[in-house]
Amino acid sequence: MVKAGNNSKSFAKTVAVKAVKAAAKGAIFYLAYLVAWTFISPLSDLVPGLQQTIEAFVMVYFVLIIVGEFASGSIFQYFFSAAKILFVIGYMMYTLNGGVFGITIENVSLMVDLRLFMLIAVVLGLLGLAKTMLQAVSYMSEKAEPKLV
Amino acid sequence: MNVSIRMIGIATTVFWIFVVIFAVSAMYSVKDLRFEFGEPQASVTSEGKMLLSMPITIVNTGYYNIRNFNVTTLIFDAENMPIVQGSTSVPIIQKGREITTSHNITFSIADLLQKSERYLFEDVALRAEERIGLWAAEVIPVEARANISLPWGAPLYNFALGTPQYSAYNRTHMRAEIPISFENHAFFDLACNVGVRMFDDSSRLLGAGATSVEALQHSAYDGSLTMYVPVPTSDTSMTSGYFEVNFASSLFSFGPMVIHYG
Repeated sequence: MVKAGNNSKSFAKTVAVKAVKAAAKGAIFYLAYLVAWTFISPLSDLVPGLQQTIEAFVMVYFVLIIVGEFASGSIFQYFFSAAKILFVIGYMMYTLNGGVFGITIENVSLMVDLRLFMLIAVVLGLLGLAKTMLQAVSYMSEKAEPKLV
Repeated sequence: MNVSIRMIGIATTVFWIFVVIFAVSAMYSVKDLRFEFGEPQASVTSEGKMLLSMPITIVNTGYYNIRNFNVTTLIFDAENMPIVQGSTSVPIIQKGREITTSHNITFSIADLLQKSERYLFEDVALRAEERIGLWAAEVIPVEARANISLPWGAPLYNFALGTPQYSAYNRTHMRAEIPISFENHAFFDLACNVGVRMFDDSSRLLGAGATSVEALQHSAYDGSLTMYVPVPTSDTSMTSGYFEVNFASSLFSFGPMVIHYG
């Protein structure tokens, strides 16, 4: 009875710590977004839909940060971490139209070639994915090792 | 393994921070980039070609240099065939600097007339394509294109020779006054020699004359040309026939153009 009470107390404490950590990470991420947005906002008049595109990205990434933090300590945190990286790569490729981004305003068409920037971002993303996979393998191998009595 | 994983994590985080800061600051820098296009000026070069010159001021108060700034103007005729191309490049624009350059387009009116004589006598709507290219923050290629309609004003718009007015000169010849009129719709002043040869219906040369005409841009010209023609006999008639007109100026020469009279 006492053991069950201790277990539920410990679980609640773990969840509380995770919630605080998730809130802190989310707050830092949102703060970084707000700072970045003050620099990017002048372009929102020029690029239609820029704010919506960035906000959608921030929302999904924010959710993945929170969920990933709650899943920490289990194998699922690596799934969410991988999902986060794949989402960044996929969303970037989709919104930047494969690296060549074009818009037409009245009779002026503007083309920005972001392929180099995107290549660097994809390589960094893949590096992050490799790191997550190594972490998952490490986590599983640690679990599989017989515990010394 | 844990150490290597941690090292990969630190490296990717550092690079991500660098990439995000660079991307955001590069985007912010675009805001501080300003282009000013001045009024185009037209002049004639020593080779007798038209020179259109447009001053461009580039103000770069962003965080990064701009490389390979390039302005290209392509002018297409009504059939969408390129007739004129001009390009201006600035290799590098340092941050915090202001650069003024001149975008020049040189073209020969004689070459233009080889494509079609209508550029001399008819106002034509041309299409101009402006391309501005640059490498923002020295690594991001950006290109802007704009299509604009460019009205071409004919220098000899509505050129016409009026009905010859005859007056007595001597026993064998008469003085013929031929009214000349046109409007100079071009963006340059026109000074050219007009040579006229008068023929009757049976293509017999009756007389020839020349005059120099001068018309300021966007102004009308009304003048006349004098020539001496033989007094008509029973087998010659001056009631109808045709003129052969030749034009010669420092910018172009054209002719003969046939205008019927009578």
